[in-house]
Amino acid sequence: MILLENLHKSFRGKAGTVHAVKGVGFEARDGEITGLLGPNGAGKTTTLRMLYTLMAPEQGRIEVDGIDVAKDPTAVRRRLGVLPDARGIYKRLTARENIAYFGRLHGLDEATIRARTEAMAKTLAMDDFLDRRTEGFSQGQRTKTAIARALVHDPRNVILDEPTNGLDVMTTRGLRGFLRELRDEGRCVVFSSHIMQEVAALCDRIVVIAHGEVRAIGTPDELRAMTGLPDLEDVFVRLAGLEGDAA
Amino acid sequence: MNLAAIWTVAKKELIDLFRDRKTMALGLFMGPVLIPAMFLGVGALAEKRVRTQLESTLELPVVGAEHAPNLVAFLESRNIDILPPPADPDRAVRDQEHDLVLRIDPEFGEQWRGSRAAKVELVYDSSRQDSQIPVSRVRGVLTEYSRTVGVLRGIHRGISPEVAFAVQIGQRDVATPEARRGMLLAFLPYLLVLFSFLGGAALVIDVTAGERERQSLEPLLATPAPRAAIMSGKILAACLFGMLSLLLIVVSLKLSFQLAPGPMRMVDVSVPVMAQLLLVLLPMVLVGTTLLTLIAASVKSVKEAQSYMSVLMFLPMVPTIVLMVNPVKTQLWQFAVPFLAQNQMILKLVRSEAITAQEWLVYLGAGFGAGLALWLLAARLYHREKLAISA
Repeated sequence: MILLENLHKSFRGKAGTVHAVKGVGFEARDGEITGLLGPNGAGKTTTLRMLYTLMAPEQGRIEVDGIDVAKDPTAVRRRLGVLPDARGIYKRLTARENIAYFGRLHGLDEATIRARTEAMAKTLAMDDFLDRRTEGFSQGQRTKTAIARALVHDPRNVILDEPTNGLDVMTTRGLRGFLRELRDEGRCVVFSSHIMQEVAALCDRIVVIAHGEVRAIGTPDELRAMTGLPDLEDVFVRLAGLEGDAA
Repeated sequence: MNLAAIWTVAKKELIDLFRDRKTMALGLFMGPVLIPAMFLGVGALAEKRVRTQLESTLELPVVGAEHAPNLVAFLESRNIDILPPPADPDRAVRDQEHDLVLRIDPEFGEQWRGSRAAKVELVYDSSRQDSQIPVSRVRGVLTEYSRTVGVLRGIHRGISPEVAFAVQIGQRDVATPEARRGMLLAFLPYLLVLFSFLGGAALVIDVTAGERERQSLEPLLATPAPRAAIMSGKILAACLFGMLSLLLIVVSLKLSFQLAPGPMRMVDVSVPVMAQLLLVLLPMVLVGTTLLTLIAASVKSVKEAQSYMSVLMFLPMVPTIVLMVNPVKTQLWQFAVPFLAQNQMILKLVRSEAITAQEWLVYLGAGFGAGLALWLLAARLYHREKLAISA
């Protein structure tokens, strides 16, 4: 269960201050997949970074399973499985060693790490490359390794920043199945994407973000009803206010 | 502090490094090969030069040799070959055609016969190392000649030769044989300090700035492991690697000094001295690693971190240069100044001088204190929001 309230974040750059996130707030429930949908630069990654405690919001509040992120970030990190935008797996370690490294940092014992690794490798179909060094891995193999590494400690809440980026059709399908399994186990799954079809195919609820603000929240059907448009892509373009941008 | 997390990070960094064979080999073996090679090579060269300059026949152009045939004959009897003079002696010396030229005054004969001090002049360039030995050789021969003649003149007039010498200067060089060898090893401290200070630089920069650039720092910092523990693990890995590399350097120094010809062989490379040398270098490894971690955590890229390297390489050189230009007496405060302290300690070890308990205390206290201060500063930087975010 994740709760975000009125988050604000700005960055000072050479060209002046950029207000990247302006009052974002939503709720992600257990046993649901919540999709964060928005065009590039909408503030999705920044919002997620605040959620997984890498950035502190200037204003607003985040709760994970009832724990305030500002008060106890370590406890929150224990309850989160995070696949950041940057996958960053270690190329001189094998996939298994990559996973075990994070397992140890989560304080797991070796037997648990081994069992979890086997289980994840099975669900994600990683057996044929599990003991190879990750240098030269395909995009799909790298993403799978990073996901297994992020979930080694069996977290209740799973956050994935654009997980299907650069994956082929079959890998994407496999990943969707995996995310549904996580949901059916009663976990809280949050993932971001800039592709409407992706979000529609998977999510129970969609949060549309544009220009650092939440534009709409609802099921795919609710969003269709809200805009009166049948095509989901049109719904997204309308809600995100992209018509003016394209012209 | 989370020891398990520190060790997990350190172990991973070491595995990662040792699988990168080339980087590992360069970091580990460059010092142990280069330092003894430089030492023995340069040492042998210096030895050879001194020996040839002292023992070979010295060629000395003399202006006005015809004015003092006795003096010239005396010079020749002391293994000095007299050459015809160049047209312009000053210029010949400045252009390095000759190390030195002797000029005999045209009035030499007249002054000689009048028993007055007859004038000769040595033309040389004191800023040139190469002229030192020939000049002192010729000066010595001239003094000897002057004394001999002076004494003979005194005896001739019934005066005790001792009357001519109001003060007799005796010389007693208190340099121990070990200390004299120490002069040969004047730049050993710089090399050792440099290698302990920056030996692990590539690794240190890579595990912070490089990891950030490869975008793997973000997922790492999203784990529950405390950032200070992650940073300490990285520092520990670099320190262990640095110590291993130093150990190899010290062992190779020991072996090469034992096998070396000439006076180098006499350097005390017993196990206790080598162990002390390692202990002296230990704070330097810590200071170097924490300082580089601090830099790597504050810069935007590996490239930026690397551009600090030339400045850092210069730092250990400062005390060596200052001491060369302005030698100072060993005082307690010097053992608290980074780089100067290492320099003094290593020289003492090489010269087989005793190091007092107080000096050890000040030295280790200041060294580890500086390391701890830098560690705390680096840990502060590690908590900055910007560190995790690479893109």
